Amino acid sequence: MGDQLLAILLLVGLFAMLAGGVWVAFALMGVGVIALLFFSNAPVGLVLATTFWGHSHSWALTALPLFILMGEILLRSRLSRDMFNGLAPWLGHIPGCLLHINVLGCAIFAAVSGSSAATAATIGRLSIPELKSRGYPESLVIGTLAGSATLGLLIPPSIILIVYGVATEQSIARLFIAGVLPGVMLVGMFVSYVAIRALMNPNLIPRFDMRMSLRQRLWESRGLIPVGLLILGVIGSIYIGIASPTDAAALGVLLSLLLAACSGVFTRRDFFDALLSAARTSCMIAFILLGAAFLSVAMGFTGLPRNLAAWIGGMGLSPYVLLGALTVFFIVLGLFLDGISVVVLTTSIIMPIVLSVGIDPIWFGIYLVLVVEMSQITPPVGFNLFVIQGLTGINILRVAQAALPFFFLLLVAVVLITAFPSIVTFLPQAMTG
Amino acid sequence: MHLRHTLDRIYLIAGWCAAGCILAIACLVTAQISLNLITRAFGIPATIPSYADFAGFLLAAASFLAAPWTMRSGGHIRVSLVTSRLPATSQRYIELGVLVIASLLIGYAFYYIVLLIGESWQFGDVSPGIIAVPLWIPQTIMGVGMGLLLVSLLDALVTNWVFGKSLIPQADNTDSADSEEK
Repeated sequence: MGDQLLAILLLVGLFAMLAGGVWVAFALMGVGVIALLFFSNAPVGLVLATTFWGHSHSWALTALPLFILMGEILLRSRLSRDMFNGLAPWLGHIPGCLLHINVLGCAIFAAVSGSSAATAATIGRLSIPELKSRGYPESLVIGTLAGSATLGLLIPPSIILIVYGVATEQSIARLFIAGVLPGVMLVGMFVSYVAIRALMNPNLIPRFDMRMSLRQRLWESRGLIPVGLLILGVIGSIYIGIASPTDAAALGVLLSLLLAACSGVFTRRDFFDALLSAARTSCMIAFILLGAAFLSVAMGFTGLPRNLAAWIGGMGLSPYVLLGALTVFFIVLGLFLDGISVVVLTTSIIMPIVLSVGIDPIWFGIYLVLVVEMSQITPPVGFNLFVIQGLTGINILRVAQAALPFFFLLLVAVVLITAFPSIVTFLPQAMTG
Repeated sequence: MHLRHTLDRIYLIAGWCAAGCILAIACLVTAQISLNLITRAFGIPATIPSYADFAGFLLAAASFLAAPWTMRSGGHIRVSLVTSRLPATSQRYIELGVLVIASLLIGYAFYYIVLLIGESWQFGDVSPGIIAVPLWIPQTIMGVGMGLLLVSLLDALVTNWVFGKSLIPQADNTDSADSEEK
């Protein structure tokens, strides 16, 4: 049977199942079963069972529940209050004042958590009421929050980069380190955007009169020290190569427990809640990964991605044209699917094409995360929008509108890393080990 | 509804076992890091034998044991964009169809996983590390998780069919931040 027919049949099957509300993990599995049953003579059930077993106990994947647990613990600590108090005294003279709390707070929390929804929830719970009570315009408050929280995906540790690394068998440590510079670049872009908006319209931002001596400011910032050490410990140990991502994650769990325990508000009950919640999230992601792993194996049997890669390769497209087309495709896909599903679908079907035109897989991982970040703030399915709707009761369409500038900033970032790939590749190449 | 209570309890207990496995991974890896530090400081080589294997097995146990409770509490991701706009009766029939598809798939996977466990048992397969763990042990935990996941799906199917109500809450769409939103 022709490849086109096969591809169309599988795509229709996949989207019918997804739209009908079949769980993503099971839909991926189902398409894999259909592909194997009808288009190969492989022993379907045996392949399914061995893939489930083989992909469920990898050492690299053990970083996943640990980083999730770390985020869950910090979510229940006093961290967001400490960050607000620590950052606020420094922002009085910068155009945009306290709006930068959203950007910088999200960037810092992103460096200890791997999820953008958790970042939005943690920072937003404190910053939205504080900023609104001081008279900041609502659209800017929720826009900066929704946009900046997407940093949770890019700045290591990142759940989605673990998923990408496991699915494509790339080094998670290198992926993490590759995310650092683009993350810093995005923070710079977001901060500049807020400052420019504030300069263009000075009446927009309420005056901030908190006069403090340098000594006072430094004293107020003491709350940032533990989280600073935590970030340094986790990312630093991966960078200098003394710890694998799993080791760093375990260290992170230990340190965040210490940090939370010292804050005085973290009870034993919170700890158990965090543990159960981590088990639930990690299970959800593990099942999607298993479904995707099975789909990849099934696709390998049908030979479809190989043929597709040969076909695209035969067209002699430049990588730029391909990336342009892929970006549009991912943005559309991201309108309806969550980030992890987009990533695993890509790795099971599109990866051979990407490799065949000579795109670096580490670079592609960061590119993919940036595009997925955009999908976090586009309706109708954008996780950050849901979180902020939950926090404020503001309709997701209005949140999305407020976050639109950040969508375009992310698009600019995609163009930048395409034009200057060394933004991504410089640090991982300089890594020891 | 005595049975309802018992089933929910079983899902939750399996979920707590999964949480325990994650805690065990954290402890195991932390213990190994401490040993690494001792090695660095005193030059005494010290490793927990096969600790990467054990961490992997615990991870598999955590992922599969948490599955039924994750299913029951609406933690698995799905697209509700289309179905949530339909009238209630069509929603119910689609939900029934989805549950049938899911039960068939998981039932199929469960059947072959049981066969896989049988093979590992029969051929005495062991893990390749220093401590050779018979593979049927961790695989059985996977089987238990998949079996309970199947039970939870059939449970939801029967509840929907007989009582006409959905057992699985709408996914909260906020990955790990969900527990805070309630």
